Amino acid sequence: MTTAAKSESHIHEEHEDLREHLMLDPKPRGEMNAMVMEAMHTTSWKFKLTAAFLGLVVAVCLFGAWGYLILEGMGVAGVNRPSYWGIFLVNTVFWIGISHAGTFVSALLRVFKAEFRRPFTRAAELMTTFGLVQAGLSIFFHMGRVWLSYWLFPYPNERGLWPNFHSPLSWDFLAINTYLLASTMYLFLPLIPDLAMARDRSTGWRKTLYRILSLGFRGTEGEWAHLRTAMNIFAFAILPVMFSVHTIVSWDFAAATRPGWSSTIFGPYFVVGALHSGIAAVAMVLVVVRATMKNMKYFIRKEHFDALGKLMLIVSMGWAYFFFNDYMVQWYGGDKWTDALLHFHEAGPLGWMWMLMLVFNVAVPWLTLWSRKIRTTPGLLFAIGLLINVGMWFERYVIIPISLTINRMPFSWREYKPGVEIFLGIGTLAFFILLYMIASKVIPLVPVWEVQEGQMAHSLRKFGKARVPTVSEIE
Amino acid sequence: MNETKTLLALFQDVDPAAEAIDKLREMGLDDGQMNVISGIPVTERMLGRPTQWSNVPRLALGGAVGGFLLGLFLAVGTPSLYPIHVGGQPIIPIPPSVVVVFEMTMLGMLVSTFIGVFLDSRFPSYSPKEYVPEISDGRIAVFFECPADKEEKFTKAMKSLGAESVKPAEAQKL
Repeated sequence: MTTAAKSESHIHEEHEDLREHLMLDPKPRGEMNAMVMEAMHTTSWKFKLTAAFLGLVVAVCLFGAWGYLILEGMGVAGVNRPSYWGIFLVNTVFWIGISHAGTFVSALLRVFKAEFRRPFTRAAELMTTFGLVQAGLSIFFHMGRVWLSYWLFPYPNERGLWPNFHSPLSWDFLAINTYLLASTMYLFLPLIPDLAMARDRSTGWRKTLYRILSLGFRGTEGEWAHLRTAMNIFAFAILPVMFSVHTIVSWDFAAATRPGWSSTIFGPYFVVGALHSGIAAVAMVLVVVRATMKNMKYFIRKEHFDALGKLMLIVSMGWAYFFFNDYMVQWYGGDKWTDALLHFHEAGPLGWMWMLMLVFNVAVPWLTLWSRKIRTTPGLLFAIGLLINVGMWFERYVIIPISLTINRMPFSWREYKPGVEIFLGIGTLAFFILLYMIASKVIPLVPVWEVQEGQMAHSLRKFGKARVPTVSEIE
Repeated sequence: MNETKTLLALFQDVDPAAEAIDKLREMGLDDGQMNVISGIPVTERMLGRPTQWSNVPRLALGGAVGGFLLGLFLAVGTPSLYPIHVGGQPIIPIPPSVVVVFEMTMLGMLVSTFIGVFLDSRFPSYSPKEYVPEISDGRIAVFFECPADKEEKFTKAMKSLGAESVKPAEAQKL
């Protein structure tokens, strides 16, 4: 090959390489709109079959088992002295953790103008809302007498006595509801222009639905200005709310003077844990969306998996740091009951769970995610994300029912054996997936206007012989 | 009395739309007689248009203050209404009160920001409005009011700057 031919081939390869980036591979807006609409409208028999199966699981495992729990009472669940908080609370913490990824990916990356976020912010935000629904349901299951749940609301009883707002459980109620409301509003605001786009391209019941939901949006200068201002306020303000929610959840445990729980770093440890499972879940969802929905290969690319894989690796390091910090101080303290608990974690009947927690949350990501090839292989990233989520569920199981087994009264030690809550857990998982599947057919999963805005902001600049992407500040 | 007509010029890109706005000013229209509608947030700076006034930040601040006061009521007011002394603990402990006040402040701010968008944009509004679906396909529409007798002159000027089409704007059901 001559030098000139080599150089030409190099430029061609570089050009191909740059086109791998969504922001440098623009399509006309009309075409992108059509692709997203087609993805929403195309429903295969596999989709219908999966939805029907999930619907059945939800009916049996969630509503059926919940009805059974209500009829028979809490005796059919495994929670009993000393493990009063079993899988109910494990699932609550797990789902709140999953919900953190949406806000993190959308708000934090928006604040820092991380461009790779653009095509999948909505996919992540949906996880926040649906994850919180499962967390809320898990709390309702645990109440037993769920019809009295209104006692949580801040109003006085017949004796003029208000709920105690200085209790961590009241903070939970306020924080989870604030986060649910805020994340739903944050999901809706950037959705309005896409709903208007869908309105312009739909007929029948969809047209009516999108017409109502798009609120009469046209895209005037004023409408964009108000929307932009509100989204900026939300992006900054929702972050402290996100951090506060899981910190407050951690205080449900840390505010108790129990061995293993009374820790000053539980707040950040829980927040990092939430991000660990949440970001892994976003990666899993994107792999599934890309593989199963039409035209999504254009919007969700290897670069996005690469970026998420890096985030997963960094967050895994953060989780390991906080875990070791928490473990070290408790181990060094030498308290008799804490020593007994730590020994029970590692060498008790469920010691395998503690060990696998470390393998899945630390060893697996550290041994794999350093490799770009692994990060950009969707199937592998899905498998790693799944293992991380299993590991994080184990972590919550170790913290809640296993830790509750060992207390300062050895006569009350008793191993937790879950009952109906296993089915309820399966039910919430199926309900989450089902809600997500339905949403993917009703609302545009890709924020097309944000993608187009990003593509407009990107250009190639020549540095010597190389062409490098540059981003203009147009927001 | 001079009769006016509202025209809609559709552009494919920001640059010709910005030039068209300059041209309309040259032809004697002021900013109040034009409006730009687009499928992406084209900023006022890009089009050389006056900055849009938004009440959203003020409403957010008002909501935050309201939420703060509500939080104070829940954390400080309610235990004072029916004081129960337990084990020598304070009736109004400060650290737990901070948590409640923080959550309610943020809730107030975010809810009022959301409502602010509705108020400022006059959402929801389902009455017929000047609009064409091509806008959500990425076109930029410049609406302007011109004297009816000069319609042709304005149409020509817009087309010479690259307008895909220039036609009378009609209110339509969205």
